[in-house]
Amino acid sequence: MASTFFRTIQIHPFLLYPTALFSRRNGVLYCTMKSSQTQTATQEKQQPPKVKVPQHALKKTVDKITRDYEAIIGIETHVQLSTLTKAFCSCPYNYGSQPNTSICPICMGLPGALPVLNSKVIEFAVKLGLALNCKLSLNSKFDRKQYFYPDLPKGYQISQFDIPIATGGYVDLDLPLEFGGGHRKFGITRVHMEEDAGKLLHSGNGDYSQEITSLTSIYSYFSKHTVDLNRAGVPLLEIVSEPDMRTGIEAAEYAAELQRVVRYLGISNGNMQEGSLRCDVNVSIRPVGQSEFGTKVEIKNLNSFSSINRAIDFEISRQALLHSQGQSDQIVQETRLWEEGAQKTVTMRKKEGLSDYRYFPEPDLPEVILTQEYVDSISNSLPELPEAKRRRYEKMRLSMQDVLFLANDMNVAEYFDATLSSGADIKLAANWIMGDIAAYMKNEKLSINDIKLTPQELAELIASIKSGTISGKIGKEILSELLAKGGTVKGLIEEKDLIQARLEIIVYPYERTELNFLIADPVEIGKMIDKVISENPKQLEQYRGGKTKLQGFFAGQVMKLSKGKANPGLLNKILLEKLNGQS
Amino acid sequence: MGSRALLMLTNFNFKTTVSSFGLASNPFFLIKNNLRTRNFSTKTRSSLQPPDLPGLAETARISLAPNEVEEFAPKIGQVIDWFGQLQAVDLDNVEPAIRADTEGDNLREDVPQTFENKEALIASVPSYEEPYIKVPKVLNKE
Repeated sequence: MASTFFRTIQIHPFLLYPTALFSRRNGVLYCTMKSSQTQTATQEKQQPPKVKVPQHALKKTVDKITRDYEAIIGIETHVQLSTLTKAFCSCPYNYGSQPNTSICPICMGLPGALPVLNSKVIEFAVKLGLALNCKLSLNSKFDRKQYFYPDLPKGYQISQFDIPIATGGYVDLDLPLEFGGGHRKFGITRVHMEEDAGKLLHSGNGDYSQEITSLTSIYSYFSKHTVDLNRAGVPLLEIVSEPDMRTGIEAAEYAAELQRVVRYLGISNGNMQEGSLRCDVNVSIRPVGQSEFGTKVEIKNLNSFSSINRAIDFEISRQALLHSQGQSDQIVQETRLWEEGAQKTVTMRKKEGLSDYRYFPEPDLPEVILTQEYVDSISNSLPELPEAKRRRYEKMRLSMQDVLFLANDMNVAEYFDATLSSGADIKLAANWIMGDIAAYMKNEKLSINDIKLTPQELAELIASIKSGTISGKIGKEILSELLAKGGTVKGLIEEKDLIQARLEIIVYPYERTELNFLIADPVEIGKMIDKVISENPKQLEQYRGGKTKLQGFFAGQVMKLSKGKANPGLLNKILLEKLNGQS
Repeated sequence: MGSRALLMLTNFNFKTTVSSFGLASNPFFLIKNNLRTRNFSTKTRSSLQPPDLPGLAETARISLAPNEVEEFAPKIGQVIDWFGQLQAVDLDNVEPAIRADTEGDNLREDVPQTFENKEALIASVPSYEEPYIKVPKVLNKE
């Protein structure tokens, strides 16, 4: 339908220019286009209210309908590799650099220029293939995928068609508890290497630019189209999943696990906002019990894990509703766009059969040949991957919530591991990292690598609290100092005079002392208790008469006598024994 | 336009060449959605189907007026016929030659190198508006 429109415009070339004349009437023109479109477009216009109204009013009904259907979800993910140079030329690539500055005859597709493959692309592809438990093709090749689009200077994309570098793998993950928890294994159909296209932009009034989606391109037909070729030729790995996912959450968690894996491997920053990790989702539904698949709908423009989740759940309800209303013929093979603002999917383009890309082997590049030694050496250099980390943490008897938090970010996991190897208690280390340290990082917008507290000092802090040298409350104070300024736990205890006494000042109202370390000698504390008890016979009588609250009074007196130096745990233990006449 | 027309031809070149190598049974060469040109026999030149010119033009994003279709159809037909001649060659015992043989991997280290003569690159862009390359508007990607 879009191409029909395209041709119509081509036949009336006079419409293409005086851009300025038409630019203010875009709305009018747009409406005209829509209404002049074919039947499908008209149906589409009627659809949203049909779906929207019952969804709002009868959410329960929708849930019930949804329960009668099973969704089949598969995901294609493009990962932009963090190589220094492009895939087939030595142009440097940096996100956000001046447009059209990282270009050369190869990535501009000039005649005579020949591609030479970046060895890192193969290395990264092998790493990902191994991490996703795939079978590697020791002998693969590149192919040309031909199509004409202004962001593709050569007129073809160098990709891998029938022999991808990796096939038949899987990924393991654990669903978060808030989504019901549980372990999942999703199949990976293939991983292949290819190059990115340039970035197509349109500017309406000349004062803004934005990346083109097909939807915006319809709106902006009469505005200026420009391209930035910095991204053209940047290496990508495309990961195709098996249609193993059933819910939005499973799909979002699959994408999140891929992000973790590529970050652990150090092959991509996995940043969805920058487009370094792009997910296209295929959704179809079928009545529960039916074996054949329903009509597949592709969803694009998913810029976060939560939009993957919500877009899929929206799409499942939309399709289920059409099914239940006997309008399943209105579910057509098409590409839909997720609109974040409206929280719904809208038609982007209807598919006119299979695309004709006319693949053929890339004659300018040699075959990609891997030796078993090369694969083995990479296999041996792989870091501990998220799944292995989670299983290891689980064996440490950490809760699944702790496990998922700690293994989510490789740097946090490494920090945790380093804290443990400095001798810290497992659960206490997890609690400090997930509690105060995570809160600090969030407030200050820092990563764990930016904080000044070293894992060794965290272990020291935990040990100091555990041994009773300092209280938990003082520990928190020291922690915030260490996080912001660094230093050592011992140094801070001495320098800041942050002894147990300070806490006791709050608990027991007496003047502050200047002393440093705690009295942990039971005999000495016992002597002081004896003194206080003998000086306060009236209170002792009241206590023994049942007014046990007076224990606090005695404790305060002893603490005062010790000038705040008494170890409070020990003090209370001995005091209680003495008050109750046990010694 | 010249290069697009060339690609239209190279597509034909490719298909006919492939068939002439007797590889049509290799699943790789079974190009989807290509029924209109696929059902020719490997050795009979006369059975080549005439191209679906409007379809080709759409793939190449060229708009052809009906009179232009009439004008181009015989020309493209001639090129196809010319490649059709190659199909007479018996290649049953010949290994397919997909690319030139190269020694070793021929890989590149990941070391950035800035292309020096960027001015010349930009100067060769037909329509450039600092800092972007102006491009034609194309509505649908597939």
